[in-house]
Amino acid sequence: MDDKTVRTIFYLSRLREDKNKSEKIKSDLKAILEMVNSLKEIDTDKILPLHNPLEETSRVFEDAVNSDNEKSLFLENAPESDGDYFIVPKVVE
Amino acid sequence: MTIQFLTISELKDLINRKKISYEELMDETFQLIKKYSSINSFITLNQKQALINAKKLDRNNLQNSLTGIPIAQKDLFCTKGLKTTCGSKMLSNFVPPYDATVVSKLNDAGSICIGKTNMDEFAMGSSNETSFYGNVHNPWKFGYVPGGSSGGSAAAVAAGLVPAATGTDTGGSIRQPAALCGLTGIKPTYGRVSRWGMIAFASSLDQGGPICRNVEDCALLLDAMSGYDEKDTTSLKLDSTKIHNNINESLEHLNIGIVNEFKQNDLSTDSQKLFSNAISEFESLGAKISEISLPNIAQSVPTYYVVAPAECSSNLSRYDGVKYGYRSSNADDLESLYVNSRSEGFGEEVKRRILIGTYVLSSGYYDAYYKKAQQVRRLIKNDFGNAFKEVDVILTPTSPSQAFEFDSKGKQDPTELYLEDLYTISANLAGLPALSMPNGSINGLPVGIQLIGNYLEEEKILKLGHHFQKETDHHLKKPSLEEFA
Amino acid sequence: MKWETVIGLEAHVQLSTETKLFSRASTAFGDEANTNVNLVDCGLPGVLPTVNKNAFYKAIKFGLAIDASINKVSIFDRKNYFYPDLPKGYQITQMEKPILEGGSIEIHIDGIKRKINITRAHLEEDAGKSIHEGFKGTGIDLNRSGTPLLEIVSEPELRSSQEAVAYMKELHKIVTFLDVSDGEMSQGSLRCDANVSIRLKGETALGTRTEIKNINSFKFIEKAIEYEVKRQIAVLESEKKVEQETRLYDSVKNETRPMRSKEFANDYRYFPEPDLLPVVITDKEIDDIKKHFPEMPKEKSIRYVQKFGINESESSIISNSKNLANFFEDCIEIVNDKTLLAKILVGDISSLLNKDAKEITDTNFTPENISQLINLISDGTISGKIAKDVLEQIRSKNIDPNEYIKEQGLIQISDEDEIEKIILEILAKNSEQVKAYNNGKDKLFGFFVGQVMKATQGKANPKSVNLILKKALSNEHT
Repeated sequence: MDDKTVRTIFYLSRLREDKNKSEKIKSDLKAILEMVNSLKEIDTDKILPLHNPLEETSRVFEDAVNSDNEKSLFLENAPESDGDYFIVPKVVE
Repeated sequence: MTIQFLTISELKDLINRKKISYEELMDETFQLIKKYSSINSFITLNQKQALINAKKLDRNNLQNSLTGIPIAQKDLFCTKGLKTTCGSKMLSNFVPPYDATVVSKLNDAGSICIGKTNMDEFAMGSSNETSFYGNVHNPWKFGYVPGGSSGGSAAAVAAGLVPAATGTDTGGSIRQPAALCGLTGIKPTYGRVSRWGMIAFASSLDQGGPICRNVEDCALLLDAMSGYDEKDTTSLKLDSTKIHNNINESLEHLNIGIVNEFKQNDLSTDSQKLFSNAISEFESLGAKISEISLPNIAQSVPTYYVVAPAECSSNLSRYDGVKYGYRSSNADDLESLYVNSRSEGFGEEVKRRILIGTYVLSSGYYDAYYKKAQQVRRLIKNDFGNAFKEVDVILTPTSPSQAFEFDSKGKQDPTELYLEDLYTISANLAGLPALSMPNGSINGLPVGIQLIGNYLEEEKILKLGHHFQKETDHHLKKPSLEEFA
Repeated sequence: MKWETVIGLEAHVQLSTETKLFSRASTAFGDEANTNVNLVDCGLPGVLPTVNKNAFYKAIKFGLAIDASINKVSIFDRKNYFYPDLPKGYQITQMEKPILEGGSIEIHIDGIKRKINITRAHLEEDAGKSIHEGFKGTGIDLNRSGTPLLEIVSEPELRSSQEAVAYMKELHKIVTFLDVSDGEMSQGSLRCDANVSIRLKGETALGTRTEIKNINSFKFIEKAIEYEVKRQIAVLESEKKVEQETRLYDSVKNETRPMRSKEFANDYRYFPEPDLLPVVITDKEIDDIKKHFPEMPKEKSIRYVQKFGINESESSIISNSKNLANFFEDCIEIVNDKTLLAKILVGDISSLLNKDAKEITDTNFTPENISQLINLISDGTISGKIAKDVLEQIRSKNIDPNEYIKEQGLIQISDEDEIEKIILEILAKNSEQVKAYNNGKDKLFGFFVGQVMKATQGKANPKSVNLILKKALSNEHT
């Protein structure tokens, strides 16, 4: 994995690249990718990916309101709120 | 008389014969937990509420399947009003406003939640060495791992502090700690147990299940935990299992398969011997032993380590410091809020898996990694399908090794620890039920065997396991706990 | 004009379901912040999505109306990105197998019909709202989070800002008629992103496009596109290249501006949603939807002409507005003169509605009071002129027509003897004009009519006046 790719995946994951740990993380990721590379050898021609072991279909639900106003329940856990809104640093579009 | 190391049925017997009240049971439980706190099996205790519940039970005459039984909940299950951390700094202050379905079902069955057990952070690990709350010790040997990610649950039961605990299993996280701690644990068929409130690691692999002292208790707990939940779209539309009442039924002669491809793995001589003993035991129970082939089984670990990180990288995106959980004090702008909260809130293993997961899903790599892995996953499922045409149950060791010392594996190369899941992972990929039971020990450290069943055949593997335990005594062994008192 | 404009629109239509796409919290608009949010919408640890089938039914209705092909098995995917009003850090959408593919929408521009092809339409959940004013930072309201959206993607076949507006208006008509969405652009029920590029006329390759995001009014669609086209032409004519970028329309300055550029492009890492299973729609369900399909404007218009005998142009206008059509149909039971009803709806009433920029449902006009008025005109009780006044009284003061004309004494004078008497009086008073008229000044006829109307406060029946006046004048002549 080249440096640019590493930077990109750190960004997409919103994780900080620590200069001190840079070599270790690269070697860790390398080790994992080497391990999973054996998949390439397997012939999967015409095989459908298996996304869920159930292989069933979704149940769908009636369009009826089934929720009370639960605002206080989860605003309580908010790191920052004014009692009505979740607050984050100013977002510039 | 002590309640330590008692099974659920033994506790029920004491209660029914009025040898102990529910309140006394609770008191003793918490005393034991305090005495053995150096094991570090718990993150949060629910003492006050547990005692209130116990007192209520003493006053009225309710009788459910688990009335008054103390149960420890893995700290991955949301418990209303009781801190739920997933072993992570990220959720170290999170108090859920709701109960997981597993939790409400066990509460409805009468059990009392006595606390939340320690675990690998966000269920990622095989040794309980990644928890923000510190390592858990294997009760069989101080300074040795109990297995993971449900290490705290296994340790609590192995030390006899509680008769049962819940765990979750994504790649072996119920079965492997059960094996390393000399306990019995079952991962049900995918969809058997509701995932509502079970904080997600890898959605298509996660399943909740019990860790107990024997098969009987596992059956009792599974009966209480399982059943259709409309809040979980991936939950099977089936009633709860009703296995416990039938557990003593005689078993027709079963065909047990031994996996050809696993013979190539390096099991120590001692391990091989114990495994052969188990085979002989099953033969003497009337089972027929055959060899089966799972041609793609060697790909289970690589497949898993693409699929699970991919799903987890997405499932863990919600931890962004906005709505709940840890928020960094360095959050002047949005990007800092995200990057600092997540970098400070998550441990190294979690970050590694998020990074790998992001990579295998990213454009240009999706086909080669994620799509490929899901295709191989289908091949592995198909292999099991073919095998189950020949045999009823598949027998394997649970784990390649017994418990090992802290910090002895995975430090240089994380994949070293990943290989601990060699035998267990494939059942998660295919969604099959799998049971782990104690099968002796090596140098005082327990070893387990695994029975993998076909879809929805929990009853078959539990009955077989129960009959095995009737003829053997591995599950009756207890650690001395000298190093911990 | 050496340049050709190429526009593709991605419209986001909020479906008018009671509950959200993946949770049973209410989708009601305008409630206090974070009160229509449940655990699932908030993306709490451990929560799971459950599918709202009505959202599928509405999407299918739309598909049937535009002749799209319906994917009976469709799956959901995750679109991963970070934004504070996206609670899970991913949006559940449909990438690979959307519910609808193909279909077309017909637009009319300057009398010419054009068919605009649809690429696909899929279901996805809306995000919450970020509010930048009034907070130390930014406030997040998750009420909207999880509301079902149907994202409709057109082929890049629109060729002008007018066509783009016509397309969106037609889309608005379809979704409101089908009761698939309330189409309220001001409430965000209908918004669009415009992909705009230009190329030399005759070129087949597409130029570099920019995306103008989140335009929420027909007027802004037109202006934003016009600005962007001008801007791109200026760029290309000064030998520079158009940057492929996302832009926002500033309605105050009437310009588009690039959004803050990021070092890394967003890679959404789509993959199938593992918490959901494929959704299967049966033929029976589709047939049921077809059976209960509402009448669309085209059929409605034909039916009005055939059944009620009104003229095509008026019929078309009425049938193209859901509110007018409903009103018309409610009146049809009660009125005697259906043609007059249509004429007044399309004429006087529509003018008043346009002047006040109101929908008929937001006025004092009801099928009862308007039908009363129509009947009073058609049976000769009041004259057309008086009727205009009564209409205005209904509009402003919500009067009851029957009572009002009685109170005000507005009943038309139709008694021929009475009219003749008044006419003869007028003619007697104006003998000079009578002489002039009989000597050829035909225009004075109007003068006499005016005088009769003045004398009767406008209540004289105009037809009778005309007949009797003509007769009287010719009598004078002889």
